[in-house]
Amino acid sequence: MEQKAEEEISNAFPPSSFSSSDLKQLLHSLPSNALNHFFSLGVCVRCILRLFGIKGPIYASIDNGSVENPVDSTTSNETKLCNICLGILQFRFYDDKEKRIFQKDTAYDVALLIADMVRQDGYQFDSFSLEVSIPPLILQNEASLWSYMQSKYGSEPWFREKIHTGCVSIKDALKFSLINPLEKLLDCKSSLCPFRIRLTYTHTKASEGVAKCSDNGGSCKRRKTGESDSIGEGTLSSSVEDESFDFSKLFPKSENEPCNFSYNCSRTPFYFGGRYLKYSRNVSQTRWIIDDERMGEASVEEIIGIKVLQACGGDNYKFHAAGREDIDVRMLGPGRPFILEVQNTRLVPTEQFANDIEKMINKEENKLVRVNNLKLVGSDGWNLMREGEGEKQKQYAALVWTSRPLKDEDFQQVSSLKDLKVAQRTPIRVLHRRSPLEREKIIHWMKMETVAGSSQYFLLHLCTQAGTYIKEFVHGDLGRTHPSIGSILGCRAEILQLDVTDIKMECFLT
Amino acid sequence: MSGQIIEESNSSETKELEQKQDKQKEQDEDADEELRKLLLPDVQTLPSTPPSAVESNFAIYFVLDFMKPRHDQYVYRHANGLCVIGLAPSHVAFNDEGGITAIDFNVGKSDRSGVKVTGKRKKNAQHFESNTALCKVSTKNDSYIVRCCVKGSLLEVNQQLIKQPELLNASADREGYIAIIMPKPADWLKIKPSLVSLEEYKKLREVS
Repeated sequence: MEQKAEEEISNAFPPSSFSSSDLKQLLHSLPSNALNHFFSLGVCVRCILRLFGIKGPIYASIDNGSVENPVDSTTSNETKLCNICLGILQFRFYDDKEKRIFQKDTAYDVALLIADMVRQDGYQFDSFSLEVSIPPLILQNEASLWSYMQSKYGSEPWFREKIHTGCVSIKDALKFSLINPLEKLLDCKSSLCPFRIRLTYTHTKASEGVAKCSDNGGSCKRRKTGESDSIGEGTLSSSVEDESFDFSKLFPKSENEPCNFSYNCSRTPFYFGGRYLKYSRNVSQTRWIIDDERMGEASVEEIIGIKVLQACGGDNYKFHAAGREDIDVRMLGPGRPFILEVQNTRLVPTEQFANDIEKMINKEENKLVRVNNLKLVGSDGWNLMREGEGEKQKQYAALVWTSRPLKDEDFQQVSSLKDLKVAQRTPIRVLHRRSPLEREKIIHWMKMETVAGSSQYFLLHLCTQAGTYIKEFVHGDLGRTHPSIGSILGCRAEILQLDVTDIKMECFLT
Repeated sequence: MSGQIIEESNSSETKELEQKQDKQKEQDEDADEELRKLLLPDVQTLPSTPPSAVESNFAIYFVLDFMKPRHDQYVYRHANGLCVIGLAPSHVAFNDEGGITAIDFNVGKSDRSGVKVTGKRKKNAQHFESNTALCKVSTKNDSYIVRCCVKGSLLEVNQQLIKQPELLNASADREGYIAIIMPKPADWLKIKPSLVSLEEYKKLREVS
């Protein structure tokens, strides 16, 4: 819906300039009784145009300084604050940063401010999406004015025609005003895209607006979701019935205050997917700090995240991995899938960019972490990673010591166990932060490999269900994991080292 | 004629596919070989007897003559603050002929084996003082009260002991542990000075 409206605005009319006589002509073509009435009530010229359903770049072309009252050619309403839009469509606002009220004559002047802000931060973009946020109070004014119009002119033939197209919302009128000048200044077209320019209007009388909004309940919500839709249909049902509504509130005697106006731009997050390997036994997966001290010498998320962040000029990153391994466990084989979310990048990352970053990370001298198959992913990346995360099998290699020398029969006994069920009570080392439960896990297969020169050390290869605690399966965790390697072999078993050798998931393998 | 041509082009396609598969296989084998190299340890660096899981992950303390002579117990404290309580090898119960024959968790005001602690916040855990009774172990002719030694919440008792009290005789220091207690950091600091280290224990009890 939004995209269509924006395209409409861009493509509808070539940005030709409407002269003030064109504006006069246009105003004269409108029903004069309604036009004069609204003018006398202090409604600004753009609010009037939008009430009559006018669209297009005329909003951008009007110069506030040269608008005349159509009736008697005296000076226009633009010197006073419009009671409906509270100055939004008159380009009058209070700027928080400069701490003073601004009064701009043309949309171009406002667009200049915005374009300056965009250029300051050094964003790379080939399109922009304009988003506008308006206080509920003014949305209420919009709706009330429409129903006022309905009650006063409902029987007129011209109104009955208009009712189908409805009036143009303040948001759309503002976009009609600003998009063409912004496109000129930023040298690109507007469209639905990750680069967002956000204009936020707020008002100190917001609470009044909120209360009214909640009165309307459902219709208020509908207005919010169908931003670019015409206002008329949505609110007719409730407001018109409310005949006791005091329309004089719309046109108070004392002057209102203009809105606070702030503007910024940002980019929606980019996502990188890939697999990481961890060669170090002193690197945690995520940043791990206890009592202001870092555990381990680095973390996978920082090694990858900081590089990517710097390269594309983002504000911050979030690291999401499919499971995790202990700080002293290496992640080998094809690696563990991960997604790195980067927020508000100044540059636009490309596939080549992802390749370059991957090479950069892998060239690091200390070789703590390796990244494979790094590439940009869309929202489907999440599904790929989360899908079946709990069911996927993991493969490990553990260096195990037994309290007695092992014989061939022991090796065969271990290899013969397929889909072995293991009951694991919450390991003591995590019992402080996890629920005390007994979890049944499956060891799909095991294979023991001798270590040359020792009859009490061997490499245990095993493939287990996701969520199995391997260390506890080897040493038994004081009997709280049963069976364990020790109980199977009838002796004491200890684990010296553990490595993850495969994560059997489909994603990010190329 | 045309059939022949199709056959030829097919075989060149399959040849390409085979070559690709062979290359992939080679790559996989290389990767496997690299992985193997990483996994295999250097035997020279391995100790003949490595430290046990308890030695590696816990700080080992002992409490001697707790409230009664020769009522010696151990306290294994994990880095996360949890304490495993059990009978030290020098406990008087092990001197009785036949060792320990039974264990009963129904002491004091409740059956310690009956409490169900749930959730991350450890709801329903009972708060005990250091001298609160945990259980009673019986030998042929005698019985002895085992106490918490550490003030804190009782997270679990070793249910296995009820069916297999002989675990206490065979491996009181591992599978024969009695209970797991979670003390508050302040309570741990208060009790720590009264505990002795493994070294001191060996000296005081003349154990090797």
